Amino acid sequence: MAKVLVFLEHHEGAIAKGSLGVLSKAATLGAEVAGVVIGSEVRGIAASAGDYGAATVWVADDGRLTAPLPQPRVDVLASLVRDEGYDTVLFAQSVLAADVAAGLAARLDAGLNWGLVDLTADGTGKSPALSDTVYVDVGWTSAVKLAIFRSGAFDATSSGGTAEVKDAPVSLEDFSTLAEMVEQAHAEQHGPSIEDADVIVAGGRGLGEPEKFALAEELAQALGGAVAATRAVVDAGWYPYSAQVGQTGKTVSPKLYVALGISGAIQHKVGMQSSNVIVAINKDPNAPIFEFADLGVVGDLHEIVPKLTELVRARRS
Amino acid sequence: MTVRASDYPPPWSPGDAIQPPSDPVDERIEVGFLIVGAGPAGLAAAIRLGQLAEDHPETAERLGDVPVAVLEKGKAPGSHLLSGAVVNPRGLQRLFAGRKRMDELPFYGAVGAESVLFLTKRKALRIPTPPTMVNDRNYIASLSQLGRFLAEEAESAGATILPETSAEQLLVDGGRVLGVRTGDRGRGRDGEQLGNFEPGSDITARVTILAEGTQGHLTGAALDHFGLRSDNPQVWALGVKEVWKVAKPLDRVIHTMGWPLRPGRRFREFGGSFIYPMGEDMVTVGMVVGLDYTDTELSVHDLLQELKTHPRIRKILEGGERVQWGAKTIPEGGFVALPKRFHAPGLLLSGDGVGLVNVPALKGIHYAIESGRLAAEAAWKTLERGASARTALASYDEALRESFIWRDLREVRNMRQAFGRGFYVGGALAGAMTATKGKFPPGNARTERDAEHKLLSTDRAKSYPVPDGKLTFDKLSSVFASGNRTRDDQPNHIRIQTKVPRELAEMWAHMCPAQVYEVGEADGDGTVQVKLAPSNCVQCGAITAKGGRLTPPEGGSGPEYTLT
Repeated sequence: MAKVLVFLEHHEGAIAKGSLGVLSKAATLGAEVAGVVIGSEVRGIAASAGDYGAATVWVADDGRLTAPLPQPRVDVLASLVRDEGYDTVLFAQSVLAADVAAGLAARLDAGLNWGLVDLTADGTGKSPALSDTVYVDVGWTSAVKLAIFRSGAFDATSSGGTAEVKDAPVSLEDFSTLAEMVEQAHAEQHGPSIEDADVIVAGGRGLGEPEKFALAEELAQALGGAVAATRAVVDAGWYPYSAQVGQTGKTVSPKLYVALGISGAIQHKVGMQSSNVIVAINKDPNAPIFEFADLGVVGDLHEIVPKLTELVRARRS
Repeated sequence: MTVRASDYPPPWSPGDAIQPPSDPVDERIEVGFLIVGAGPAGLAAAIRLGQLAEDHPETAERLGDVPVAVLEKGKAPGSHLLSGAVVNPRGLQRLFAGRKRMDELPFYGAVGAESVLFLTKRKALRIPTPPTMVNDRNYIASLSQLGRFLAEEAESAGATILPETSAEQLLVDGGRVLGVRTGDRGRGRDGEQLGNFEPGSDITARVTILAEGTQGHLTGAALDHFGLRSDNPQVWALGVKEVWKVAKPLDRVIHTMGWPLRPGRRFREFGGSFIYPMGEDMVTVGMVVGLDYTDTELSVHDLLQELKTHPRIRKILEGGERVQWGAKTIPEGGFVALPKRFHAPGLLLSGDGVGLVNVPALKGIHYAIESGRLAAEAAWKTLERGASARTALASYDEALRESFIWRDLREVRNMRQAFGRGFYVGGALAGAMTATKGKFPPGNARTERDAEHKLLSTDRAKSYPVPDGKLTFDKLSSVFASGNRTRDDQPNHIRIQTKVPRELAEMWAHMCPAQVYEVGEADGDGTVQVKLAPSNCVQCGAITAKGGRLTPPEGGSGPEYTLT
């Protein structure tokens, strides 16, 4: 039986939702599933992973692991794989996960499939290809299998289980401690990030002018979601690149995606088409977005959105 | 008001692309021979150099660890290659003489039947195939696929191919070309260094062979710097093509003339279409129009969409599906626009970059391959004992002048220009030129810069079909079908004036098949702002012909063609 280890990334005292999603998925594969939390003073958050299907949670708790640097994490994962016999290591997509997974792949001479959206019990991954127009089955030829899943690929589902928390040995290679974190910069952000949000309100050129992004922001706030933008408006400097969804931006799959004044060019579509419910508000009835929206509203968003925001607020309060 | 694109020159000078080396000597990357561009010319040169190295191992040893390096700005060899293509095998036969047969190359077979059609809006009239266009014994290919094949051959012949690497500056010191500087990677929109910033490097070589293809960035700068330009300016055409999966095989190669282009002299709409079978289940269809056209609303992309609505062509595509799209310019100046010399100290120029294209025959790939092969032989001569580099490189010019390229191009030297006098006069003159093998009319007809023609507007765009997403497509979804996923937050690589008369802004917006230009707000003084979406760019080069200047974006950007 496969032994699966899931890398549990954490921010501000909680395990990232994406990691828990991957853990929940792993728990359905009929394998022996463990999670691993790496950092300093992270013991407190480890047990919570049991609720998402981990039978064991390894904790590597060490002052040298405070900074989110990849190499020390590779050391921890590599020794767990070697000593405990894990044959599969899974990651949820993030900048850190990409660094760690790549380092681990090199260290263990293991194959890494990235950007996967699914994995079956027999060890076949599903990977979108040709700009998400088809899915291809991918596998591994190496003994140890590594995979990074796309953000939002799986929901974090609570199973009510508990995990045994164990200490993972922390023995760092000389070269792993050479890098030092000088500074960590955080983009200022209100509410959830677009990768994590269940609800995304996205604005396009149809908003008319940069100031009108306030409409999207207010609706997002009312819904408890995040704001995203199309390439056209990011190009025009209306909104930061970090919020760009699409072929050359981020790929998201929230439960609800509200598209305001977005025509639905294929470059945008490939970044959000796997959203559960897509609602489009656009005054052009021929806009391509209506071909794949679940609910389309033809009308002036400047009239509709403020009223919608009001209604959402009233319903929620 | 009379508007000419040439009155609004781009903020760019050839000096921007020519610099002395900047890296300290011990940090420069030294290679034997450096080739810029993994297309048919550059790869033929790399393959020929590999053959010579195999034949002369002791000489080859003097070339160092990297005897031959090929820089390619695309994601992979073939990513930026696009052509019809019906290939005359002559160049390949000479390159692979005694080593490979034509049936070992990735062709879609030899041309069987062929038709030339004169189109009106509803009818198609078959006309006799003009003698220059006969394709007997030629092969159908995807140039992108052929390029990938040649790249593998070049690598097994010992060349090092460096994809995702743009050649940004030609390194010139003391009047001699020393190599090139590659482009930086990981810069933000305002040129700032991002987290993944990697500076470019100076790569130096014994001889640098530029094989950049149409609108070559360094080739253009080198022609100016070394005073090599012809008295006749180069002119270009823009080709836009699609590859379709089709329900039923097409049994012949088809070329069309006439509709949707207009015959009137003042429109200067010279061009036509091609429809080629690619095996049993694919067809490629493309439209080519000379960039000397005058109408601000002319859009080759939309003309291709219009062409596909013709009953004769719609029938071929019915039940099929578009799988790829792309665009590229073609140098059309021919013989009269060839450079005065094809070499400079340390430098050889080849292929489409110097305009080795036979417009009446619709061919240039075999010239690119032959010129690359000849460039390799001249470069190799610099290694021979007692050779002077100057004499060795000058032998390239002699070899070109004695080659079939020269004979072919000379014969048809005035044909393209004749079509500046309208379709019918041009057609009649072309017939006379063919009959006399180029002796009549004597002399050379001049070319005029594409950007110099006065613009006019005639509501041309009204006839373009509204895209239905099945047979006809808009520009943005077409950019997607080119595989382009260029990083958006990189510096703008297109040099144009951004405050221009409305006519000019509209001409650019219609001209560009990739929707890079948009007409912005009016300034109140008759001019408008031009807005740019540079990451849409498929690097076709039309802007350089029509008043702007394309420079290479970060390596790895642009389309990722596989079937074009």
